[in-house]
Amino acid sequence: MTDDELDQRLRASVLSEEMDTAQLQRSIRERMKPALLPFWAMATAAGILLVIAGGLAYRAFTPSAPPICVAAARDHGSEILDGVPREWLSDLAAIQSLAAQQGVPREAIAALGSTGYRLERGRLCFLDKQIFLHLVYSKDDFDYSVYLRPRGAQSPFDGSIHQASSGTENLAYFQTDRLIAVFVAEHSSADALAIARAAASVL
Amino acid sequence: MPHLAALLRVARRLTFESASAEDLVQETMLLAWRGFHGFQPGSNARAWLFRILFNAFHGEGRKAQRSAGPGPASVVVNAKLQEAVEIAEALQLLPVEQRTVLLLCVVEGFTCREAGEILNVPIGTVMSRLSRARQELRNSLAPQLKAMEAKGAFR
Repeated sequence: MTDDELDQRLRASVLSEEMDTAQLQRSIRERMKPALLPFWAMATAAGILLVIAGGLAYRAFTPSAPPICVAAARDHGSEILDGVPREWLSDLAAIQSLAAQQGVPREAIAALGSTGYRLERGRLCFLDKQIFLHLVYSKDDFDYSVYLRPRGAQSPFDGSIHQASSGTENLAYFQTDRLIAVFVAEHSSADALAIARAAASVL
Repeated sequence: MPHLAALLRVARRLTFESASAEDLVQETMLLAWRGFHGFQPGSNARAWLFRILFNAFHGEGRKAQRSAGPGPASVVVNAKLQEAVEIAEALQLLPVEQRTVLLLCVVEGFTCREAGEILNVPIGTVMSRLSRARQELRNSLAPQLKAMEAKGAFR
């Protein structure tokens, strides 16, 4: 018997077997269904990881707040939010006098009042080893802090308005020809920015 | 599902057990489905599936049995069927390596090169296994075929 004859008989023998694959196909499809779960679980996990990575990247590439702003946020948190007892001035004349002693123009305080907020109180405080005039303005149960000091020879900021966050506080800061100003608002970064913009036009 | 019958046909002759063969084919199809990204478009999908089947067969440590398979059909209704049974039995007695190349090259129509790629062995190994397999099969079948031909069963 030649190879070809042998092959032919072998093929005929094996291929003569009846093959009913319907049940097998059903079984395979059934087993493929649960296998979908890990795929979707992995897709969900990948989505979560993407969000986390995005958050980390955002934090990594978002400029960190300058030391003065970090100190301002801390000061605002303890003195305004936590209500640590401090000696405040609430009389406008007294505050303006204190401001003048520190080189902050009296008219700046009045100008900040034109932003729609009312001056509540003021005191001096240290931020990053520098003396600032801390003023608290209020409107509709919403308080914000503004920290002012005369601009020195080496200014920490530039002329444009910047945003930052430190802890739960939202900050905006800028400097003018005369002053360095840091605004802290706990509601949202948009609030801090809006207040800073309004103030920048009058300071 | 394409090629399912061919996979099952070969799996039955690897495992000699219908349930095990179906398990092996199921596993093959699931592995193919999960690893579909590993398939290169334009390449031979049938060969790829068979490669997965043989990997699964060897990977699971399945032992190919040489003689523990199902016996011949209890009622042989005609000469052709009797021959099929004789050949199936002879095939069953072959070492799994020889049986495999016969199934791939002779029954399923793969070239020796393709069979080598499926089994991950050199083409020369496939050819020598094929030659030995044919010889052993011929030796096994010789008495039966001679007797059947004497009876004119194949005329």
